[in-house]
Amino acid sequence: MTLQIIDNATCTFCGCVCDDIQLHHDEVRIHKANKACVLGTAWFLNHTAEQKYPAALVDGREASLDEAIEVAATLLHEADMPLVYGMSNTTCEAQKECVAMADLLGGLLDSHTSL
Amino acid sequence: MGGKVTCTLGEVKQRADFIIYWGGNPAECHPRHFTKYTIMQKSKFLPRGRKDRTMVLVDIRETKSVKAADIFLQVRPGRDFELITILRAMIKDQHVADEQLAETGLARDVLEDLVARMKSAKFGCMFFGMGLSMTRGKHMNSAALLTLAAEMNAFTKFVAMPMRGHGNVTGADVIMRWQTGYPFGITFNRGYPRYNPGEFSTVDVLVRGDCDAAFIIGADPGATMPQPAIDHLKRIPTIVLDPHVTHTSRLARVHITTAPQGIAAPGTAYRMDELPLPLKPALKSPYPTDEEVVRRINAAIADKPFWLPEGSQPQMLTAQV
Ligand code: SF4
Repeated sequence: MTLQIIDNATCTFCGCVCDDIQLHHDEVRIHKANKACVLGTAWFLNHTAEQKYPAALVDGREASLDEAIEVAATLLHEADMPLVYGMSNTTCEAQKECVAMADLLGGLLDSHTSL
Repeated sequence: MGGKVTCTLGEVKQRADFIIYWGGNPAECHPRHFTKYTIMQKSKFLPRGRKDRTMVLVDIRETKSVKAADIFLQVRPGRDFELITILRAMIKDQHVADEQLAETGLARDVLEDLVARMKSAKFGCMFFGMGLSMTRGKHMNSAALLTLAAEMNAFTKFVAMPMRGHGNVTGADVIMRWQTGYPFGITFNRGYPRYNPGEFSTVDVLVRGDCDAAFIIGADPGATMPQPAIDHLKRIPTIVLDPHVTHTSRLARVHITTAPQGIAAPGTAYRMDELPLPLKPALKSPYPTDEEVVRRINAAIADKPFWLPEGSQPQMLTAQV
């Protein structure tokens, strides 16, 4: 099977955010990450499109995405002082939604920077 | 960190003939930093590449990055602030006592040589890592180094830049600054953003047990935070979004699997010099993206009654004439 090639892909493993990586991939996994360093290569090759985990877990049991979203919304809404934290390994688009969430909840908002 | 004297990595690559790494180990933590942006590159202004550049490493111990450095300064642990303050005095030819120098563990002639080199550089850049910003003095160290960079501009062009860690932490800073005016440690509990690290920063909030629910995305505090903070996450309802079932997922009430950014989820990420770059995902994930899930949770929250009673919500003031 021939592999598809993506030129100038972006690695987000470290703050260098190298945007010159050449990825060779098929449907399921990335086989080669040219120009990436050891850390970047490991990052690209370790993630696959396989369904390794259940869509969601609620109280330790498998649940559907819809159910998990509803439970999450209820728990956050019930709280008096919810905390929205993290946002390291995610996109700016998702980060913006997280700010909206903290605003909507009247909660705390913080990232890894404060550690 | 608004107002810092900085530049993009492109400028460093083209122009910086004097580079200081302070409290960081790029050889192991940012492996392509040397080759892609700093010392190894040849450019129009520095045609001989490595030969045209000087690299100084300041750290408390010898790391793998020492091999790449021209000069290595081993500062005594926890004395970075003192050393920066001494350098700030020395560039202005102010008197520094022997006892003060002894505290840093460095000799006077070594520092005099460093100051002379800094002043004779055409374009100096100081990169500082967690060895500076996360040890004794913390953000005061970063502030001192940024001040040193600003003050060096009385003699030559000098800038400073933090070596940001994994993932899109820079993006989180930028997005929060854009949306709220503050980079981290924010609360909305009065209906508008307020900023106070120490009071609203996560470790403190968790250790004191202030919050009564937690939404964790793109981070694994269950593996990195101090035990009392983890214990509090166990006590309260915690919700985790992550491509893997993490340590934090195991103690959480809800875990939702999402597509990994840049591999299966599209979007934008910020480089450490605050330059946004588009992601080019190679794979199609069976899981939804973070953005989609957070958006759907927000929609579900918005369907419920607002947390402030009607009429007490903060209002935009409109000018009345
Ligand atoms: S390829 Fe290496 S240096 Fe570049 S962003 Fe990825 S981990 Fe960092």
